[in-house]
Amino acid sequence: MTPSEPPPESAATEPVDLTSTNPYSLHQAVHARRAEYVRPHRIRVKIGTWNVAACPGTDKDLASWFVDGKGIDAALTSLNMAENSAVERDTGTNGTGSDANGIHLLGGNKIGLYVLGLQEIVDLNTATQYMARVYATDNGPMERWKAALESALPDGYQLVTAEQLTGILLLVYASPEVAPTVSNVSTVSVGTGLLGYMGNKGAVATRIVLGDSTRMLFVNSHLASGSEASYVDRRIWDAGQILNRAQFKPVTFAGVSEDEGEKIGDEDFAFWFGDLNFRLDGLPGDDIRRILMLHTRGEYDLSKKGLLREDSLEGEGVVVQGASDSSEETTDGDSAATTSIDEAADDGSISLPDPDDFLPDPHDDPASLQATLDSLFPHDQLKRVMRERKVFHDGWREGPITFLPSYKYDVGTVGLFDSSEKRRAPSWCDRILYRTRKDKDEYEKKIREEEEARKKDEEMEARGMDHAGDDDEVLFDYDPDNDGDDQPLGSDGLDYEECEEDDGHSEDIVTKEGFSDRINLDIYTSHQRVTSSDHKPIISIFTLDYDAVVPELKAKIHAEVARELDRAENEGRPVITLVVDSQDFTRPNGRRESSDHLVDLGEIRFMKKETSSLTLANTGRVPATFSFVEKPTTEESGSASFPSWLTTSFLRSEVVEDEHGPVELGKEVTLEPGETVRALLEAYVGDIPQARMLNDGQISLEEVLVLRVTNGRDHFIPVRGTWSPTCIGRSIEELIRVPEGGIRRFSKTLSAKKGRVGSITYDLDVHSAAPRELFKLTDAVETLTERALADEQMLDECRLPTEGGWPFDEKTWKVVDKDTRSSHVIDVVDALDRDLGIGDAFKPETSSIERLEAASEVLLLFLRGLTDGIITTPLWNRIEQAGLVSIGQANTTPKMPTDDTFEDDKTTILDILAAAPNHNISFVFLTATLAKIASDLSPLSKAELDVLKSESPVRSSVLGRRSLSFRRAGTNPAAEALAALEKRRAKEKRFAEVFGKVVCRAPPPEKEKEKKVLEDKQRAVVELFLRRREDS
Amino acid sequence: MADLAGAPRPSSSVKLVLLGEAAVGKSSLVLRFVNNDFQENKEPTIGAAFLTQKCNLPTRTIKFEIWDTAGQERFASLAPMYYRNAQAALVVYDLTKPTSLVKAKHWVAELQRQASPGIVIALVGNKLDLTNDSGDGEGTDANDSGDARKVSTEEAKTYAEEESLLFFETSAKTGYNVTEVFTAIANAIPETSLKTARGAGASAAAASRAEEQRVNLNGPRDPNAKEGCAC
Repeated sequence: MTPSEPPPESAATEPVDLTSTNPYSLHQAVHARRAEYVRPHRIRVKIGTWNVAACPGTDKDLASWFVDGKGIDAALTSLNMAENSAVERDTGTNGTGSDANGIHLLGGNKIGLYVLGLQEIVDLNTATQYMARVYATDNGPMERWKAALESALPDGYQLVTAEQLTGILLLVYASPEVAPTVSNVSTVSVGTGLLGYMGNKGAVATRIVLGDSTRMLFVNSHLASGSEASYVDRRIWDAGQILNRAQFKPVTFAGVSEDEGEKIGDEDFAFWFGDLNFRLDGLPGDDIRRILMLHTRGEYDLSKKGLLREDSLEGEGVVVQGASDSSEETTDGDSAATTSIDEAADDGSISLPDPDDFLPDPHDDPASLQATLDSLFPHDQLKRVMRERKVFHDGWREGPITFLPSYKYDVGTVGLFDSSEKRRAPSWCDRILYRTRKDKDEYEKKIREEEEARKKDEEMEARGMDHAGDDDEVLFDYDPDNDGDDQPLGSDGLDYEECEEDDGHSEDIVTKEGFSDRINLDIYTSHQRVTSSDHKPIISIFTLDYDAVVPELKAKIHAEVARELDRAENEGRPVITLVVDSQDFTRPNGRRESSDHLVDLGEIRFMKKETSSLTLANTGRVPATFSFVEKPTTEESGSASFPSWLTTSFLRSEVVEDEHGPVELGKEVTLEPGETVRALLEAYVGDIPQARMLNDGQISLEEVLVLRVTNGRDHFIPVRGTWSPTCIGRSIEELIRVPEGGIRRFSKTLSAKKGRVGSITYDLDVHSAAPRELFKLTDAVETLTERALADEQMLDECRLPTEGGWPFDEKTWKVVDKDTRSSHVIDVVDALDRDLGIGDAFKPETSSIERLEAASEVLLLFLRGLTDGIITTPLWNRIEQAGLVSIGQANTTPKMPTDDTFEDDKTTILDILAAAPNHNISFVFLTATLAKIASDLSPLSKAELDVLKSESPVRSSVLGRRSLSFRRAGTNPAAEALAALEKRRAKEKRFAEVFGKVVCRAPPPEKEKEKKVLEDKQRAVVELFLRRREDS
Repeated sequence: MADLAGAPRPSSSVKLVLLGEAAVGKSSLVLRFVNNDFQENKEPTIGAAFLTQKCNLPTRTIKFEIWDTAGQERFASLAPMYYRNAQAALVVYDLTKPTSLVKAKHWVAELQRQASPGIVIALVGNKLDLTNDSGDGEGTDANDSGDARKVSTEEAKTYAEEESLLFFETSAKTGYNVTEVFTAIANAIPETSLKTARGAGASAAAASRAEEQRVNLNGPRDPNAKEGCAC
């Protein structure tokens, strides 16, 4: 291996997208810095192929030609040896063993990779021998050849791979410098012989990777023999099998293995050599022999054995004459060694043009060896099948053939073609082909282009333009590559082209790993003077420039790049800045100052919506998408299933003040850099059980919102509200302990004392017999009813609803706007909580009807909110079991009681309620008020009352029956009075329906039917107390 | 550009969460690991910072997706959001503050109870620079002023061994042992629990296999590990 000048700029800094998280971008970024971790290398690769025909003594010859480069016959090649970089002059030629020409090929320690392909290292001529070989793992021959080669190689050369397939052997050795950079060696055998699988024919192939950058493939094949035309197809089939079946292990770099194994074609440089067995077609063998003998004439074998063999070739005048001229040739050879070596030395008998003028092109000289060879090329099967694209057409190349056919010689002779009876026609059976990645790509590109052109032609034809366009195409679509193929077979044109193309020409090959390598075929020739086999060894030397990765440096660069990418990735994340909007709009309940990240929504009153907002700004460099995270309920908070008191929404910040109201932007928002958006936080508690737990301090208004920026960080936004204690969601026992000044102040005092929010405990003093709030509400309802009635009298536009349960029946409410109603409710509740007059809670312009409905709604809300109701469950159970006529027994509908039972039942109930005096008082108070309101709203005139009184004896009978009798009587005063009375009864009943279920608490029944029965009973109990004696 | 089919496979993602009491140095450890930087008087993390960092092991590349959570107690209830599906957790305490180890133990218990079965947990005692054995082997001015250590290595290590945790004492300030923590975690992540595509969680089968593979990793570390996160 010789270090060379650095290859051309292979590491231009390519732009790499540092923000991408794609793993390939890391690879690309590392690759962009490859100049920092690769070192240029130049090595020579020597490839030799030799069919040793199982001849004894061939192993002894191996070292001299393959390693030492000897056995070249400058006279029997048209190569200009003197100017070839792969040729060296012998030093100290006077000694033994020096070549007759005084030259040898590069070898020894000047070769980085020795690749040797041998065929027929075992004799396979008989079936029995063959079978014995197949089934015996006989390493003997391989070991013998390994030993032969290793003894010749300079010290330190290491075996890369050795694989034998029956007679086919592939050996690869690397120099001490190259060996450590060889990796991913994968060697396979493909048998294509008997039955299509046996190893008598086939290939051994190996894939190696040089310097973690360059994939190389070596295929040593022995294809089917036979000179008949039909065998050509078999050879093509064999090659196809090898191409298809060779499968290499996945390549592993830095411990990371690729997913898939590789096949032939995945490599950067491929070399296919061996006894390919292609012959010369269409010429009589004897003619070939004769024409070639003209060139070998005069040659003789150096060995005595050879002479003996030649004796047996009587009748072959050419050979005999050659033998007789042997001494002359020897001197010729000597002179060639001491003088310039060129074509002139080939054949002294040929007169040359003035050699000083120019070097004659051997192709142009009809008498030259090259001209003879050229004339044979059109008959070469391999060249033909490549041209016909049957095999080795996809980019494979061969160096110019400047040497005699490698087969078949009499063993022991330098240039005596088969003199046996068979007289086999000489042919170039032994070849070395090669292909670069670029060659393959260009071939594939060409195929694609042809395909496109073909399609275009078909289209043209389909449009009937094929003939019209002919001339144009010839003129304008002429493609020398494509159209060149149209030349008739046997044309010499291609071969000349190849020769010129390959001559000293090297080009950059971009490898699979993205490195730029260069290869040059330095020499392609035969060792004509090796005579121990009937084939001549064929040799190629390539110069390969490649970038070898220095693993330590690459790891370092990789780490650096990874760090840069990580940094870029982290710095390129979307960034959102949060600002809690200053609470400049004044709040009556005086919220605390919100700190940087904490949002304090201040006091949260029952049903009162409080809002706050955050401004979110995209302060990063990339668009940012974010949303509030829906948090999973954790065990701690999972017990209660309240509606969340906090809701969030995003509003476009610039249109908040717009009259049309803010535009909601949905759950997820994307902001461009510099844009802002407002996040609105709304607090609302309108659920009674939730209010109760807040009153009791079991839950608090604290929440952490999580704002997640997609691909960025999560922001935690603690949000807090302070619960404003309320009378809604309390028990009577609590409320009666509230002193003047209202529950809110009292609760705050209590929690300040205890250090935490909590319920009002029973050890505190009782301040009133029934909840003050109840007094206030009933009073307000009563007063407002009177007021409304008065307004009705005075104002034309004031008409009270007369039907149903107004003002307690939701369905009859005149104020239908929910917001208006709830704002009244909030104000009334606030007044109660602060122990203020309910009348003061309303704005002056609020109508009495509105006020009455609001007070009624709050009364119902208040009663619903009473923790145990007025008639608690235990009390209710006793009432149910008291055998009251009015409510009947279980599962029976209550009967309308007579006046007597009516009074009895009332007494019984009051007796039961007496066990809970505060409840009792509350109950009486409430029902008295309701009765009063019912009578106010459905008044009986004095006259009507008188009529009813006079009818009192009748009234002792069952009401229903009596009513019938009145109705029959027609329109008399008594009937009218009774109708008015029935109207009042209806109102009382409706009131009782509304209040029954909020006053009484009972375990909820399971069935719908039972629920109805229960509600009837509850209604009946309340109704008992709503009925006023008409005479009272 | 050349055909890059031969590029290394996409790196495997590992979700890693940092837990521990406020002000023990979670964010500083991450800053040291990711940016090789240190800031005095860092602001407390209000939220969960998200950062990624690749770590090269001899045989694979691991991409840590780091969630650095707020340590303040009021955010403790949010931690499950982050340790759910995490393959690794760094439970950090402050060597100079015994209560922080108590809190760390709580986190370990919670993780063992509620996190993915195969989660790799590392117990990390930070602020080694405040102790006499600050790791760099040479006395500094800070050391002369006295040893602030309040949690002995022995105590924490014994606990870590009992619970099969990785254990390290680090200094985010000097950088001592920081990369080692992450490399050790990367090495301890079973191959089977790695997700190859983002978002695709490890299958249940993989997780249970990971559980089986969970071993005491406190022994002498793989010598390769040292060069692992070459960053």
